[in-house]
Amino acid sequence: MRIRGFVSLAIATIVISACAPVAGGEKPAGTDGAGPATKWTPSRTPDGQPDIQGIWTNYTNTPFEVFDEKDQPGLYAGDPDGTGRGTGPGFINDSFERKLSKGRSLVVDPPNGRVPIMPWAEEKRNYRLGHIQDDWVNFTPWERCITRGVPGGLFPTGYGSGYQILQGPGYVAIVYEMIHEARMIPVDGRRHVGSGIRLWNGDSRGHWEGNTLVVDITNYNDKGNIATNAASQRVRSIPQSEDLHAVERFTRVDENTINYEVVVDDPKVFTAPWKLAMSLNREPQYQLFEYACHEGNLAVPNTLSAGRAKDKAAARAGTQ
Amino acid sequence: MQTRLFLAAAGIFILASAAPVVAHHAFTSEFDGTKPVTLKGTVTKMEWINPHAWLHIDVKGPDGKVVAWMIEGGAPNALLRRGWNKNSIPPGTQVTVVGFRAKDGSNRANGREATLANGQKLFLGSSGTGAPADGRDPSEKK
Repeated sequence: MRIRGFVSLAIATIVISACAPVAGGEKPAGTDGAGPATKWTPSRTPDGQPDIQGIWTNYTNTPFEVFDEKDQPGLYAGDPDGTGRGTGPGFINDSFERKLSKGRSLVVDPPNGRVPIMPWAEEKRNYRLGHIQDDWVNFTPWERCITRGVPGGLFPTGYGSGYQILQGPGYVAIVYEMIHEARMIPVDGRRHVGSGIRLWNGDSRGHWEGNTLVVDITNYNDKGNIATNAASQRVRSIPQSEDLHAVERFTRVDENTINYEVVVDDPKVFTAPWKLAMSLNREPQYQLFEYACHEGNLAVPNTLSAGRAKDKAAARAGTQ
Repeated sequence: MQTRLFLAAAGIFILASAAPVVAHHAFTSEFDGTKPVTLKGTVTKMEWINPHAWLHIDVKGPDGKVVAWMIEGGAPNALLRRGWNKNSIPPGTQVTVVGFRAKDGSNRANGREATLANGQKLFLGSSGTGAPADGRDPSEKK
């Protein structure tokens, strides 16, 4: 029994230590993934699709955006009082000894690496993040355990940045470790659902252009956020509108790498479309764990109760 | 015995090489970074629930009265990856927890570190979104 425990722990040690340095080294600006196409040709699934199946991760030290001195990383991380240490450009991932890439920014277009957010949307984000103790609607959908969104579910976060891609006839499926989501992408040529159907994660329709999976996403509702986690910095808690249109491109460029790009166009929220590029790194020994977010999400009631305690303290101070 | 020692050493290696846990929600919306707390008590249960695990301990006060506390930790998958498992601190374990108190004044805290009777330290932290730097998070040394 002890020997068995020894073996198990030794294996765990090896696995944790060996969590692949799959995306090592410094990379120039805007090349976190999105490298030049190679002559490598992926194998095919039984129904003829380029095979992009497997376990992939995208832990990275590349910041979401290029940092600007006017940014308020404390606010974006949910720390408007500045009593914590916040995140921002120094954000460190739960990397588990991976040698992480570090480029200038995941946002590669516009060339300045900054998402062109309209002022009203920034004001709405500031209000929500600054009044999170007042109302549950001010939480991001991730904090409410609803969704991290599409494409936001693929934006790297500090932990749980694992994905499993599966393919069957007419479909590509992506299982997200964070937060319990399984996304079905039809690639059989069917049309989008009717315009009256509005979805948190939009309606994904894929097709293959050579070895690239192109996914067109429409039919969003206006309840979600384009990004939900603190690693997304200034873009966290920015709302999405029903006009949001995203186009993703997945290109497997070698055995261990998928170049991922997404162009986000939401004319009610952004002054221009913007593009994010990164790599998904194959990590077959990585295990996706369950993240049943709703089962014990005490963060919402506890945050609201902290707000009510603050209100009572303010009321007491006002009557004295 | 030798095996047991090796297990302990291997466990410490895993814990020491682990990187920080990052929270699903903002620390300062719920907990007060100006109110650190140290709680010495007995584990009554560990809830391996998402998005954050909760450690329950009974703490005996100076008056002899036992008070139940809830301590928030990282997500189960993150704690597992940093070396925790369901046998790490079973009910009945004596433990000293340091953390920060909940802003609503209830007997809850955000856990930073749990120290067992044998001196082993387990990093509980869901710190990445804003717990004050206190030297307990391995990422602070980077």
